[in-house]
Amino acid sequence: MKRYALSLVCAACLSTDGGLRSTSNVVQAFRPATAGAQSDTSSNTTLTAVDGIKVGSFTLPGGTTGCTVILVDGEGVPGGVSQRGGAPGTRETDLLNPLNMVDKVNAVVLSGGSAFGLDTATGTVKWLEEHHIGWDVRVTRVPIVPAAILFDLPIGNNARNHPGPDCGYKAVESATTAPVTMGTVGAGAGATVGKMGGAGTSMKGGLGSAALRMPNGLVVAAIVAVNAAGDILDPDTGKVIAGARKADGTFADARTLLRSGALAQRRAPAPRAVENTTIGLVATNAKLTKAEVSRMALMGDDGYARAIFPSHTMGDGDTVFSLATGKWDGQADVSLIGALAADAMARALVQAVTQATGLPNIPAVRDLKK
Amino acid sequence: MKLWMFAVLALAATAELAPKRQQREGGRPGVNNTLTAIPGIKVGHHTLTERPTGCTVVLIEGGATASVDVRGAAPATRDTDLLNPAKMVEQIQGIALSGGSTFGLSTADGVLKYLEEKNVGIAYGRRRIPIVPGASIFDLGVGDASVRPTADCGYRAAQAATDAAVVEGSVGAGTGATLGKLGGMERAMKSGVGSAAIVMPDGVIIAALVVVNPVGDVIDPATGKIVAGVRAEGRPGFADARVMMRSGVPRVNRGDNSTIGVIATNATLTKAQASYLAQMTDDGYARAIWPIHTMVDGDTVFAIATGGKPGAPDMMTIGALAADVMATAVVRAATQATGLPNLPAVRDLK
Repeated sequence: MKRYALSLVCAACLSTDGGLRSTSNVVQAFRPATAGAQSDTSSNTTLTAVDGIKVGSFTLPGGTTGCTVILVDGEGVPGGVSQRGGAPGTRETDLLNPLNMVDKVNAVVLSGGSAFGLDTATGTVKWLEEHHIGWDVRVTRVPIVPAAILFDLPIGNNARNHPGPDCGYKAVESATTAPVTMGTVGAGAGATVGKMGGAGTSMKGGLGSAALRMPNGLVVAAIVAVNAAGDILDPDTGKVIAGARKADGTFADARTLLRSGALAQRRAPAPRAVENTTIGLVATNAKLTKAEVSRMALMGDDGYARAIFPSHTMGDGDTVFSLATGKWDGQADVSLIGALAADAMARALVQAVTQATGLPNIPAVRDLKK
Repeated sequence: MKLWMFAVLALAATAELAPKRQQREGGRPGVNNTLTAIPGIKVGHHTLTERPTGCTVVLIEGGATASVDVRGAAPATRDTDLLNPAKMVEQIQGIALSGGSTFGLSTADGVLKYLEEKNVGIAYGRRRIPIVPGASIFDLGVGDASVRPTADCGYRAAQAATDAAVVEGSVGAGTGATLGKLGGMERAMKSGVGSAAIVMPDGVIIAALVVVNPVGDVIDPATGKIVAGVRAEGRPGFADARVMMRSGVPRVNRGDNSTIGVIATNATLTKAQASYLAQMTDDGYARAIWPIHTMVDGDTVFAIATGGKPGAPDMMTIGALAADVMATAVVRAATQATGLPNLPAVRDLK
């Protein structure tokens, strides 16, 4: 209860305190005070630019896996999901179907650790229950925390070192409205991309975020942990930014690779099923119904199609959650919000790979020679 | 000798340019780079004379495993529920694409009649029941809205179906198709039918046919540039829907839309794999159309697998390239269209 009071106070004093409310022992902490200490959020180009949303990441010691929690202010807001990849790992996604009752989501957890990582949501649920946040069932509050995982077990020593409830608890505890820390952090710590070319040719993925702010005050933003089998493209130019590399270090280009038939001929085709998955979330400050927020997730998913090639494969568990905080009073046009969500998501994907830092034998974009 | 060198140089120059993929996978003279590149698939159009509208019929008289992905929010479809992998019917014999919005769905009746006369369909006692799912675009705003494709249109399109290269452009279901409608019909452009095919080294063919009628612009995913879209006011060129929507255009409420298409392969797929193929193909819409899947688009992709090539399919390759070949077909629908008064096509610009 005391911690709850503290968090309320600090939420109010964020304008001066910036991102430093976090006292948790995170390995990859939030941005320094200079980045978070904005009196207004207009310079924040990440998910936390959406009023009513906080984000916290926790990276496990070793720095190669972790989880990221998107926390909603207050009693929860309508949420949706688009699950189009062929190898998903998810929790509480059925309740997001607009035909089903619950229309308030309290938090969304993105995690590494494959199916094991779904346990991170348990820690987030625990923290929320302790803070009396959740669906009111009189005897207690039932926190509504959908979650999705990505497959990062071959990275570092992750195979025996999964993010668990402790990760989900620490990440939500550290959640702030400061700009989201991107790169090799949280759910994106062990993420990789460009796995169509076989062993040793992939690159580092990570956590990315982007926000679009409209003149009338509408904000649409995205966060994503990209761990795709495919390459990451810049949709504005069609060029590969990060992806499978040839022996000479240049990009193999999955579009060319697939046309050559090389993948079909390979005995043990890479990528192997489920060794991938891109998980993310789009959010807006507009007021949407549960059906509308579902359409927003579906349209946000088009950002995956535009910035990842190929996306939504049998070996990717691609999932996009959506939230509408309703803090903005303007008239919401879901087609516009969805279109912007797709763009924000594509930008977040580009950010994820450009902000990533490499691991041994897995270079990031910044490690490539120009 | 000189000619030979010229040919090599020309070939090299073509191969160097990424945007030229569109030319390699569609429109090559003398080569069928359309949906009918797949053995067993025929396509026929019928175009009405009373106003710009019509229908396009895909026939697979030998049957094909099929499914569908409907992601637009304003669909007009028929017999799509049976394409759910959990439902019984595995194979279909035709697909009816048409103009005329929900009224146009009756074109499938004509296709059923045609196939029943030919004794094609699922055996039921001594009769055959043809399975012909359908989808329609909204083109009632182009000319006299009381003129719509009917069963007669479907019958004639089925009669006209051949395995020749698909005629593209403003024909059949694409006759009344338009695009780039965020600034109203006054600044929209003419669209139509596009088709493209990829032949893999192992003989697997992946081909697409699409009727492009979105509220959004058509983008070439290889360059990120607009191919056709909302025309700028008071100057040549495009307004760019991406810019318009960021600067606060009016609400997206024009219902004159929907992009409907077919992805096909000669690979042998289960119905669940066909469902997956349809879903992956939808990424081609996302890449080549901006915005897509809005509240006023009824975007639909049918997937069919003829099974002409036996063996376990490589779904990664087929699905990924299906999205790519669909994007190429979308771009071709815009570039092959012919304009109408006040509705210029790409070829009318400049």
